[in-house]
Amino acid sequence: MRIIDSDVHPWINGDIEGLMPYLSTAWQRRFEGKRSTLPDHPLRPPLAGATSIRRDATPPGGGAGGSDPEFMKEDHLDRYKIEYAVLSSIQAGKLVTLPNTDEAVTLARAFNDYFREEWLAVDSRYRLAMSVAPHDPFVAAEEIRRIGDEEGIVAVFVPLLNILMGNRYYYPIYEAAEERGLPILIHPTGTEGGFQTSVAFAGGIPSTYIERHTVFPEIAMASITSMVLEGVFVRFPGLKVVAAEFGYSWAPHMLWRMDQNWREFRREVPWIKYEPSKYVLEHVKFTSQPAEEPEKNEYLLQILEMVHADRTMLFSTDYPHWDTDTPETAYRRLPEPMKQRIFYDNAAELYGLETPAQV
Amino acid sequence: MEHCVGHVDEIPERDALIVDVNGRSIGIFKVDNRLYAVNNICPHKAAPVARGTVGGTMLPTSKPGELEYGLEGQVLKCPWHGWEFNLETGECLFGVSGRRLKTYPVGVRGDQVYVEA
Repeated sequence: MRIIDSDVHPWINGDIEGLMPYLSTAWQRRFEGKRSTLPDHPLRPPLAGATSIRRDATPPGGGAGGSDPEFMKEDHLDRYKIEYAVLSSIQAGKLVTLPNTDEAVTLARAFNDYFREEWLAVDSRYRLAMSVAPHDPFVAAEEIRRIGDEEGIVAVFVPLLNILMGNRYYYPIYEAAEERGLPILIHPTGTEGGFQTSVAFAGGIPSTYIERHTVFPEIAMASITSMVLEGVFVRFPGLKVVAAEFGYSWAPHMLWRMDQNWREFRREVPWIKYEPSKYVLEHVKFTSQPAEEPEKNEYLLQILEMVHADRTMLFSTDYPHWDTDTPETAYRRLPEPMKQRIFYDNAAELYGLETPAQV
Repeated sequence: MEHCVGHVDEIPERDALIVDVNGRSIGIFKVDNRLYAVNNICPHKAAPVARGTVGGTMLPTSKPGELEYGLEGQVLKCPWHGWEFNLETGECLFGVSGRRLKTYPVGVRGDQVYVEA
C-alpha cells in the first residue's frame, strides 16, 4: 500500500523566537519588544503539558514533538513508509488571533521561508501547505505568487477569520491559488471561539476542550456550503479545497440538504446550475483523520460510500498530535480499491505527486 | 373526455380556478388570455400546486451575483416547496427534477371553458 499523509504538523520551537532568522532586523526589533509567542486557546487539551502534541513524539535532542525534521523522518515517514507528507503549521494558523495585519503577513512569509529552508530542503518527501495571513488577501495573493510555483509547495493553508469562505473578501487568494494550481487547505487553527478575530462557533462559546473539539465540523460545513452557493467554483472552476481534520460523517447530510434546498430555492442562486453536491464532489476533499467511529463497523464503509470517499478522501495521520491515526491501525477493513484511492491516489492526483520522491 | 368547467370570466388572471372533474382536482389558469390546465397535485409531495403563484423566475446564469429574470407568466411555483413548473408542459424547470406536473388540453367554445381530462 502506497501512502501519502495529507496532514502532518511541523513545529517551530520558540514560536516567533524561532522565526527570528527569517525576519528583517526591523521586524526582529518589533517582536523583541513584545511577547514573542502566538497565543493559545485558553481551553487546553487535558493531556500531558496541556498540548495537542504527543509526548512520545519528542525528539531525542529536545524541543517539541514535530520540531525536528530528521526525527520525524525516522519516527513517522520511515516507520510507516510514507511517500509524501503534506505539512501545515498550526502555529501559522494562530496568526488569525493577531489584530495587526502587518505582523500577520510578515510572520506568514517568515513561516513559509522557515519551512522551505528547514524542512523542504531536508527531504523531498516533505511537501508544504504554505501559509497566508488572510488579514490582507491581496498580500496573501502576492505571497502565493512569490513561492507557489516551487516544487515543494502543494497547497495554500488559509487560517480562517470570522468570514465565511464564499465571501468575496477571499477571492484574491482563490484567484492566485487557482492560477498556481494549488488547492486551498483549511484546518482547525485551535483558536476557534477563543479570539474575536477567529472563526466563531455556532450558537455560542464552548466551555471545555472536549466541547470545542467536538464542534470543529461546524466550521467546514458552513465554509463549504458558503463557497458552493456563493458560486466560488463557478468563478474559479479550477479551484480545489481540502477540509483537513474536520471529520466527514456530516458531509453526506450537508450534500443532501444543499441539494434539497437547491431544488426549492435555486432561483436565489441561479449561477448554481446543477445539484450543489456535484460541485462539492468535484472540488472538495476531506482528510481521513480522525477516523470516525460509528456504532457498528459496517456503518463506516457506508458513510465512506455516501461521501464518495473514492474521490474525496485523503488519508492523513495528524502526526504528531494526540489523535494520530496510523496506517497500520486505521481503515484496515476497507475494500482494496477504495483504500488505494484514499491512501494514495486521491492525494497524488490532487497534489501532482504521482512520482515517488527521491529519498 | 371533454368537460365543461365554467364560464371563462370565472377564471381570475394568474390565479387558478380550481374545479372538480370526476373527483379529480384541476387548476385552470388564464395568463394574458391564454388558458392552461394542470393537475392540482404536485408531483413532488402532493401539495395543491394550483394554489401556487404564476410568474417568471431567475434564469440560470454563468455569472455569480448577477440576476436575470425571465419566463414571465410561464412558471407555476408550488405553494409548498417552491418547485417551479412550466405552466404549459408541466416540466420541472432547469433539471431540478425529472418529475412532471400533469397538464390537460383546455380551450374555450363560446364563453365556456372545456378541459380534456
